[in-house]
Amino acid sequence: MMDVFQDLLNYYGQNAWYVWEQFYKQFLMSAYGVLFGAIVGIPIGIFIAHHNRLSPWVISLANIIQTIPALAMLGVLMLVMGLGPNTVVFALFLYSLLPIIKNTYTGIRNVDPAMLESGKGMGMTRLQVLRMVELPLSLSVIMAGLRTALVITIGVATIGTFIGAGGLGDIIIRGTNVSDGTTIILAGAIPTALMAIIADAVMGWFEKRLAPSTRLKKNPANQV
Amino acid sequence: MNQTLKKTKRVITILILSLSFILGACSLPGLSGAPENTIRIGTLNTTESQIMGQVVKQLIEHETDLEVVLVNNLGSSIVQHQAMLDKQVDITATRYTGTDLSGALGMEPVNDPDEAMKIVQKEFKERWDQTWFDSYGFDNTYAFTVTKELAEKYGLEKVSDLADVAGELRFGVDNSWIHREGDGYQGFVETYGFEFPKIYPMQIGLVYEALANDEMDVVLAYSSDGRIAAFNLKILEDDKKFFPPYDTSLVARNEVLREHPELEGILNKLVGTIDTAKMQKMNYEADGEKREPAVVAQKFLEEHHYFEGVE
Repeated sequence: MMDVFQDLLNYYGQNAWYVWEQFYKQFLMSAYGVLFGAIVGIPIGIFIAHHNRLSPWVISLANIIQTIPALAMLGVLMLVMGLGPNTVVFALFLYSLLPIIKNTYTGIRNVDPAMLESGKGMGMTRLQVLRMVELPLSLSVIMAGLRTALVITIGVATIGTFIGAGGLGDIIIRGTNVSDGTTIILAGAIPTALMAIIADAVMGWFEKRLAPSTRLKKNPANQV
Repeated sequence: MNQTLKKTKRVITILILSLSFILGACSLPGLSGAPENTIRIGTLNTTESQIMGQVVKQLIEHETDLEVVLVNNLGSSIVQHQAMLDKQVDITATRYTGTDLSGALGMEPVNDPDEAMKIVQKEFKERWDQTWFDSYGFDNTYAFTVTKELAEKYGLEKVSDLADVAGELRFGVDNSWIHREGDGYQGFVETYGFEFPKIYPMQIGLVYEALANDEMDVVLAYSSDGRIAAFNLKILEDDKKFFPPYDTSLVARNEVLREHPELEGILNKLVGTIDTAKMQKMNYEADGEKREPAVVAQKFLEEHHYFEGVE
């Protein structure tokens, strides 16, 4: 046990810049995936919340995407888009759609109808209701969706190594190919897990900050 | 209701499709540069291939403003070749003459190294408009390997020297080699005219330790494996030229070389700079001492000052 620990320290000492490069690359892939997911998913979520009849259809489509195994997804996308990180980003985008759409939908649907009514009563347009009532009240739920999406994509991005996208998966796979690779496998796996845990914690903190109850307490002007 | 449903369905499909095409062509800051300024290098899933891929990558990055990405872990030489034909990669870092003669070209093995090199260079140029560079200077072939002590004891230099003592030696070989056509065990017996009565099939990765731990006396190893140097082993010369040559080179698509005329000169600097002993050492640094291929490559290039001033 101590030996493994010693080997790991040794490994990081010798390869620090390379590990950091791969760490950064993997994080970027995940972040881009979630970013595109948010750009597409949040408007879709808002739209189906307002046109409720469409929601079962859209959500089950996103559900179906989610059930495709990561390796199969990358394999199929590779045929269309070729090798490299862009293909992985697109796969991650698809995986992040479900949590983002679903949470946006839920968040907006759960806004108290009385709030909507009072907004309308004050003479707000539909866009103003969305901007000033619905979105602020559902922001923390939407954040929770982004949080789930980011954690999922960090995990899936590891598999990107199989289509030549690099990332920490490269280190893990190399570990499985050399004769005594335990250290190398761990050296790749530990940062991956850490990245997911840190991302989860940071997004969780944002989620809490954005919750309506917290914001009310922080800003005395909001208190009636 | 049905109308809106159809409409949304269509909108979403179009959105997904168009996004996939935009993404396929665009550059994401930090991840992938503009396609016209990016060189993609394909490597195998072996340590040796990844070290050489990194050497080529870091050298190009040092000399030019081009962006270089590695496409790692391609499964085999055929996959590498296919990726080149599909223009998914621009350069493949390690190609072996013997492998490509029988694999990509589908030709008979040639035992003379220079002739094999000439053939692949000519055929790749004519058939696929690709340049097979001259060898880095090392080969990665099957090699009869013994411990230095045993070599001294029996005075072993060449494979033929084994003939008199083969009867008492334990011989460890790769599973697949025993039944292989052509350059397998049967072919060996016919060429060299002696047999190993005590032959033990095993996984190729295990033969080095088996030899070092005195569980085997002779093994068939890969000539550029790092453990040959690390365990103080000795390769016997294949004096009857039984194994086809596996000289190692990089291959580039001429289309890319024409687009970036400076590349050919840069890549040529690597020709003849790494002999088999040097490659063994670099492989060992990666596998034995747990340095990443990128780090090993960087050290190699720094030792040679990135071949500055070499023409």
